[in-house]
Amino acid sequence: MATREQQLTEVFVEVADSLIDDFDVIDFLQKLSVRCMELLDVAAVGILLADQNDRLHLLAASDEHTRLLELFALQHDQGPCVDCYRDGLPRINISLTDPTAATMWPQFARGAESVGFVATNALPLRLRGRIIGALSLFQSASEPLPDQDLTLAQALADVATIAILQQRTLAYSEAERDQLQYALNSRIVIEQVKGILTERWQMPIDEAFSVFRAYARAHNRKLSALARDIAEGTQDTDTIRTFAEQSAARDS
Amino acid sequence: MISDRMSEILLLLQTEEWPTVAADTADVLAVDGIAVSAGNAPGGTEILWSSGRISRDFEDLQLTLGYGPGADCLAGGTAVRVPDLGRVREDRWPALVIEASALKVRAVFCFPLHIGAITLGVLTLVRSSPGHLARAQGDDVNVLAVALTKYVLGLGSPLLSAAENQELTAPVLHQAVLHQATGMVSVQLSVPLGEALLRLRAHAYSNSRTLTDTARDVVDRRLWLEPDPHPMNPTDDEDTDEDED
Repeated sequence: MATREQQLTEVFVEVADSLIDDFDVIDFLQKLSVRCMELLDVAAVGILLADQNDRLHLLAASDEHTRLLELFALQHDQGPCVDCYRDGLPRINISLTDPTAATMWPQFARGAESVGFVATNALPLRLRGRIIGALSLFQSASEPLPDQDLTLAQALADVATIAILQQRTLAYSEAERDQLQYALNSRIVIEQVKGILTERWQMPIDEAFSVFRAYARAHNRKLSALARDIAEGTQDTDTIRTFAEQSAARDS
Repeated sequence: MISDRMSEILLLLQTEEWPTVAADTADVLAVDGIAVSAGNAPGGTEILWSSGRISRDFEDLQLTLGYGPGADCLAGGTAVRVPDLGRVREDRWPALVIEASALKVRAVFCFPLHIGAITLGVLTLVRSSPGHLARAQGDDVNVLAVALTKYVLGLGSPLLSAAENQELTAPVLHQAVLHQATGMVSVQLSVPLGEALLRLRAHAYSNSRTLTDTARDVVDRRLWLEPDPHPMNPTDDEDTDEDED
């Protein structure tokens, strides 16, 4: 097990790489979500971005299980992330078993409970006095996050903001808008491709996505780029499936 | 923030013919011309609508040359903003810059009309003076692009009631289940993603159900759509070139 310092170093190396390399926002945020989950020792992490109508949408999550995605989706109009997005203040150590949560956000609290989460945190994605989204953390144990972890969580949220807006193009607010639109649309491509794969392969949607992601990682392909190629019919999906079967055979 | 005038335009778009609205839209956005070109291949686009001559001529120019900000916008899937054509690197669009100046086009702003991998076309604003789009117009133009995407796809049909159109606002278009179902239907029917979305919409409509519920039934494998020999929408025929099966 790597020490926390080692883990942190890796995160920052990844961030630096992502900003100089061929960059894929969904891919990067997905890795960042997983890093966040490990570093903060929480059960699940999601990164939500607001659209032009101020609705929050999930861009990436530490895992893509449909039930978890649905929980993040519920936060487009209720939950601590929505509150955090509206006033820019973090919502920390919110107990989901507390009746207050059920009163304030009935669907969200029910959904979180059904997945086994007992506490949640929401941190703002900040950009010079503007809030563009939220970092959502779920815990399956009710232990509060220590202050230093919250500081780290906010730093990771800031990293997500930088990644979404790609530091290099920060000069104009209109470029920022374009980046947000681009990120939101990239997420839609991933969902369309999940549908294509689940139907073509006749396997559960979560499994189809796992196969897709494993293939992308093993072949050093960006998630969004691979998804686009599949959607446009320029990537043979049998190859991906064969690869998965071969890997499974090797592992067993 | 969306301006009140843009909200009015969006309402008009649902009830009136586009050409009557185009000039007003250009006015709200403080540009000299606005055009929508359909198509998903650089150089292979077709002008659907334009507010007037300056936009039509600029679209024609891009079509003739086979390159330009519109083609770049399609290829990159993101907005291309050129606040001053006079300051563009020489080799970027060599002939275009010269010809555009003859058309009195100095600034160009292109926005993709797309839903995930469904690419329908480009919204292009042109202006005869250099400079960025006014700040207040930032959200206006993004919201307009979403509305036009629906319109081009045939989703924001004037034949539908306002409530039915309302269902297709941005939040619905961002529901994962809708896009997953679109992908599934495209495989089931061997049709492009754009047509799959229309089939879903038609199925929801003819069964008086919401699009979200219909999509969920598809994803949960309670509903399979049957191939339909009749095209849903006149624009389908123009899109068949993307179907390469």
